[in-house]
Amino acid sequence: MSVTDQPPSPQPPAGDPREALHDRIAADSLTTRRDYLRIVATVSGGLAVGGLGVAGGILPRHGDPDDAKAPSPKRIADQLLPGESLAFHYPDEEDRAVAVRLDDGTLVGYSAICTHLACAVLWRKDRGTQGELYCPCHEGIFDARTGEVTAGPPPRALPKVVLTEQVDGSIWAVGTTRSGESIEHGLCRQLSEDRPDLASRIGCPAVKGGGAEAPSLGPETPGSRS
Amino acid sequence: MTDARQSRNQEPPERPAASRPPAVSEYPEPPEYHPGSARPELNRPVHERYPQIRATSGYGDPRIRHTGPGPGAGTDQEPERSSKLTARLVLAMTVVVGQLWGLTVVIDAWMEGRTGTAWWGAGFLCLSFLVVLGLWLIDPKDR
Repeated sequence: MSVTDQPPSPQPPAGDPREALHDRIAADSLTTRRDYLRIVATVSGGLAVGGLGVAGGILPRHGDPDDAKAPSPKRIADQLLPGESLAFHYPDEEDRAVAVRLDDGTLVGYSAICTHLACAVLWRKDRGTQGELYCPCHEGIFDARTGEVTAGPPPRALPKVVLTEQVDGSIWAVGTTRSGESIEHGLCRQLSEDRPDLASRIGCPAVKGGGAEAPSLGPETPGSRS
Repeated sequence: MTDARQSRNQEPPERPAASRPPAVSEYPEPPEYHPGSARPELNRPVHERYPQIRATSGYGDPRIRHTGPGPGAGTDQEPERSSKLTARLVLAMTVVVGQLWGLTVVIDAWMEGRTGTAWWGAGFLCLSFLVVLGLWLIDPKDR
């Protein structure tokens, strides 16, 4: 028997066209309201499972480490001139970020992953009064100073990447925040367990006075510099 | 000169016997007329041929109160069943719309680091699922 030969399929009883006709008609089932109710119940169960998965951490967040340790500082550039931007990865390779030096010298850093559908966020100096962070996929626009959404469909602000500038002009990334989280809160959250000395130095409330060693970061307030 | 031209100039020949209209008695008798199909299985009543197609299938006609024949005849003896089924379906779909909104809240809360809010939202989604499950399971078991 070759592979193309089909096994004999069971035939309907010959000489009984009424039975065959009835079977054919019965096979053309309509989608009833009970079927829709079953489908809706299935969708509802899927949404419940999805909610449990999201709350359980199935969605990655920018800067969430795998080993629950604070991200180590990373030198990302020797210098950054006003009006320029720099794309980099921090703290991990999949965490795309962008650093921008505004015209007035302010240094800001954000996640370069749009909060809408994870497209790449670009620095557009020619847009707006002082430039904008722009997502070309669906015209999402973020404020360059705060990372808040100013236009378009993104539902949340961009997570920040805390940047600091050393005396020699080099730019360092020292931490991350989540959407809508302040730089102080984000740094304290990351440093309070892993590096309490540094957390106490920057004034985190939970570890005030807990550490004595001075941090080895730059002399300026992390996050932005005027 | 061709044969056709020659034939035009000549007298028209006598019509052959085959082209003459035959006498009435030469026609064969027409078959006896029967409405419907020659296949007997296609001549059954409509309800018998298509058992799923009924007089009011797909409609909730409140005037129909009894099965036929007779006054108020129809397929649904209890029109409230249809209304209740529609109401359950609408309620379930409304709950699912609320779940979609709740899922956006859960995602926003998780992304902003508010893990407790995310878990409360997940609990809301599970309770909503139980409500939909209940709406589905209170279906009468006689069908």
